[in-house]
Amino acid sequence: MFKMTHLSKAFRTEIVETFALRDFSIDVKEGEFVAVTGPSGSGKTTFLNIAGLLETPTGGRYELDGQDVSHLSDRARSRIRNEKIGFIFQAFNLIPDLNVFDNVDVPLRYRGLKASERKLRITDALERVGLSARMKHYPAELSGGQQQRVAIARALAGRPRLLLADEPTGNLDTQMARAVMELIEDVHRDGATIVMVTHDPELAARTQRNVHIVDGQVVDIDAAEPRFTAVAGG
Amino acid sequence: MEIQPILKSLRRQKTAALLIAFEIALACAIICNTLFVISERMDRMHIDSGVAESELVRIRSSTLDDAAERSVRTAEDLAALQTVAGVVEVAAVQQVPFGNSSWNSGLSVERGAPPVTGATNYFDSGNLVSTLGLRLTAGRDFRPDEYIEFDALFRADVEVVGSAIITQALADKLWPDEPALGKFFYTDQDPIRVIGIVDTLIRPSFRAVADAPMSVIYPVRNTPGLQYLMRVRPPADLDAVLKQAETALREVHSGRLISRAETFESMREHFFRGDRVMAMLLSGVIVALLVVTALGIVGLASFWVQGRRRQIGIRRALGATRGSILRYFQLENFLIVTAGVVTGMFAAYGVNAWLMQHYELSRLPMYYLPIGAIGLWVLGQLSVLSPALRAMRVPPALATKA
Ligand SMILES: Nc1ncnc2c1ncn2[C@@H]1O[C@H](COP(=O)(O)OP(=O)(O)OP(=O)(O)O)[C@@H](O)[C@H]1O
Ligand SMILES: [Mg+2]
Repeated sequence: MFKMTHLSKAFRTEIVETFALRDFSIDVKEGEFVAVTGPSGSGKTTFLNIAGLLETPTGGRYELDGQDVSHLSDRARSRIRNEKIGFIFQAFNLIPDLNVFDNVDVPLRYRGLKASERKLRITDALERVGLSARMKHYPAELSGGQQQRVAIARALAGRPRLLLADEPTGNLDTQMARAVMELIEDVHRDGATIVMVTHDPELAARTQRNVHIVDGQVVDIDAAEPRFTAVAGG
Repeated sequence: MEIQPILKSLRRQKTAALLIAFEIALACAIICNTLFVISERMDRMHIDSGVAESELVRIRSSTLDDAAERSVRTAEDLAALQTVAGVVEVAAVQQVPFGNSSWNSGLSVERGAPPVTGATNYFDSGNLVSTLGLRLTAGRDFRPDEYIEFDALFRADVEVVGSAIITQALADKLWPDEPALGKFFYTDQDPIRVIGIVDTLIRPSFRAVADAPMSVIYPVRNTPGLQYLMRVRPPADLDAVLKQAETALREVHSGRLISRAETFESMREHFFRGDRVMAMLLSGVIVALLVVTALGIVGLASFWVQGRRRQIGIRRALGATRGSILRYFQLENFLIVTAGVVTGMFAAYGVNAWLMQHYELSRLPMYYLPIGAIGLWVLGQLSVLSPALRAMRVPPALATKA
């Protein structure tokens, strides 16, 4: 699905230069469910941002679907985000001014789908996350778990091939977390590739592959190949 | 990007949006009317007086009470003025354009009928049409035998004024559908024949431009309060001509008071001073309103962009291009301004109706509305540009920041 080779990401301020990622290499196969763990500040979110084309790497190579995407235009990157990638965030990130229906509609509008097609996808997605009855509600009127399910519906409606989730259950209690995790597993069963950052070892254990990031570098625990090959060969 | 989601989101920010829309409506109403008032003042200031202003000067001298003496003195004065270097023609008349004081009467087209219109009366002591540089478009100038003495008008036994030259505007007013030449009009009992038509000649003073060119010239010599007109051959130093004219008049009679030695250019300038000041003041009002409105838009848009940075990041993450973020804020501004402009158009007519009632303003022409609307749309877009560009630059990674 995507492949990072000797990737680095540096954040420059006037005084210091911090490397969020250093010599970072990983190969995520189509249909994989990868759990990413690591201490705070290790670079997990940075990794997801680059994978999701929200940020560009400072060095190295990033290929998505075999295409080098590190130097694409904003328009092309936006389009890829919109069509191939779905995001789920720890803070849910719904748009507070829009109701549930319109929130799910946002990425579909950017894709330029017809109104009838959008409506179909929105109702489908909301049904799947069990929120059909809440379409007219605003985010502030929903519980955290419900908001996260709306966010999942928003990602689902776009039918992404790659779903990136940054601590999707971090703000939820155990019961809601389980429900959200089950939904994500559902999406995975439908064929999507999933990369999920989590602090919860229990959730991580439910995935096929665990990637541990320490200090901006990957420690690929469950990779089929020996770690050495994964780093050098990609 | 489509309008619907923007409207939905605006509904959640009603107060601020309505406030800006209201500000724009107010600006629209005031600016449309102010522009209209300015343009009316401009029309006044640019009115064609009908006279050859750049080649004309006037000078006034104390006149004599006795009619016979007055007529002798006038003849002597005119002869003296004629000798001033550069002077081509001279004439005497009791009132001049931009001169403020004027003799008026009501005109009707049938004896005893109520007047159709009022008009001002220029009394030509001879050679007035040609000295003023009026353009005769029909008929002819007065013949020498048509002139009568002003004094004779009050002697019961004698002549009456039988002929007159009128302006085209007056002709159209008196006889809208027929040629005026040869027709008769009345100021009293006796018919007066139109023997010539000049394209225009404005009243000494006027308010509405349409009312300005309602003038009649009568062949009546030696009215009281005569003033002298001198037409010079360009290029000539008009101030020098006035000086020499003064000297020439004092040579005729040294003890006289000489006043109002002026060029027509300075008379026009003086006459329209109030209009000019008003136009400048009102322009200042418009600029101030535009600045305040622009600042309001910039302020609110900046506030919204700041408050929606996260939302912008989320939209970017979900596939919005930079362009679509820019367009979002532009379109949002356009919608708010449109709401304001539509309200403002009605308000403009309201303000106009009020002004018509309380001041002498005419009905606001329709085309001021699109002009005002386009102006405010442009202002809105320019004002929102910088905040919208800031919004456009919000990085998509902001969505993942905790
Ligand atoms: N925009 C930025 N400017 C400067 N430094 C940044 C920026 N974003 C991230 N960093 C730094 O990069 C490093 C990795 O950050 P990142 O957010 O990827 O960590 P993380 O693993 O997601 O941590 P957490 O578990 O707390 O979310 C940190 O040291 C962080 O301070
Ligand atoms: Mg993080």
